[in-house]
Amino acid sequence: MSHFASASDAELVRGCRGGDQEAWNELVERYSRYVYAIATRGFRLSDEDAEDVFQDVFTRIYTRLDSLRDDSALRPWIAQLTRRRCLDAIAARREVPADELADEESTDLSDVEEAFEVREALAALSGNCQDILDRFFARDQSYKTIADELEIPSGTIASRIARCLGRLREQLEGRNNEVGGSRD
Amino acid sequence: MTTDDYRELTLGDLLDRLSANGLAPGGGSAAALTVAFAARLVAMVARCSTVWSDATGVVAQANAIGERAVELAHTDGRVWDEALTALRDAEAAESDDPRKGFALEQKLEAAAAAPLEIASLGADTAQLAALAGERGEPTYRADAAAAAALAAGGASAAAHLVRVNLGVRSSDPRLLRALASENAAHEVAARLRESHR
Repeated sequence: MSHFASASDAELVRGCRGGDQEAWNELVERYSRYVYAIATRGFRLSDEDAEDVFQDVFTRIYTRLDSLRDDSALRPWIAQLTRRRCLDAIAARREVPADELADEESTDLSDVEEAFEVREALAALSGNCQDILDRFFARDQSYKTIADELEIPSGTIASRIARCLGRLREQLEGRNNEVGGSRD
Repeated sequence: MTTDDYRELTLGDLLDRLSANGLAPGGGSAAALTVAFAARLVAMVARCSTVWSDATGVVAQANAIGERAVELAHTDGRVWDEALTALRDAEAAESDDPRKGFALEQKLEAAAAAPLEIASLGADTAQLAALAGERGEPTYRADAAAAAALAAGGASAAAHLVRVNLGVRSSDPRLLRALASENAAHEVAARLRESHR
């Protein structure tokens, strides 16, 4: 596993600026699904257009990373770049200026943001918490199945999940209190 | 009233549909909806337990179980309709074609899989009700006990449908799983009832 896997966005940006290939790989890994989700769910682009936006956004990130004013504001910066490229793609299809497409953004975009924030907050939890939350909420496993597979008493599963959710909420609240910005 | 999504129906329309002379929803869907009611009742108890630190985590689990139960109510109706249609086709065709026999068997398996999951959700709901009843706001303990009783009822009905739909021996592992869920839910419901006396 890359030593950037647990790095903050600001550390990642510094690594990329320093030409560290592992930092670039981690940045692409961390944000590829995010960019793709904005294009397909937020703007309902076709797979083909979303792929073009994806390539273009990561090229711009690579060439313009020095223009990012606040290293910790990587995500909003990438979101802004992606939104602009999506509007360009829609404008090109319809042959109208991108400025006239301000309302094209789907309401699903807030869901994309929220899902990404939850994913990031989950990654900061202990492996045990990540595992038990994934089993219950993503894989729909019953308490008994979780208890059998993890070899822990069935009667403790619900309270373990509740405690892990409490920690997830603390993570999310901590993140929401952080404020960032960029000039692009 | 053409929607197949039970969440879009009013309670009156849903009850009318349940008592209509049609195929679905039937016993499995009713069992699933009973579990969904129980799960939402647990969510209410937890939400009202403002000084309980794990309350919001219990609300989230109860809501997730409730959503799954409603999904299963719909799934059960659909797979049971399909199984019944396949049974009637098989009877009408009077064919010995093994492929048709296999297809019918698969439909019946699917018709038993949904109640098996419903029974499991009933056991989970009862367990969550126990947690809410023991740690939540004491004023709402009776609601937690009611939720466990409903969940146990849903699990019992679902386990019965697994037995009937599969038509299997009493040692079949799927039936044993359903019965284990039913027993677990009933044990919790009895414990909560006793502690409230």
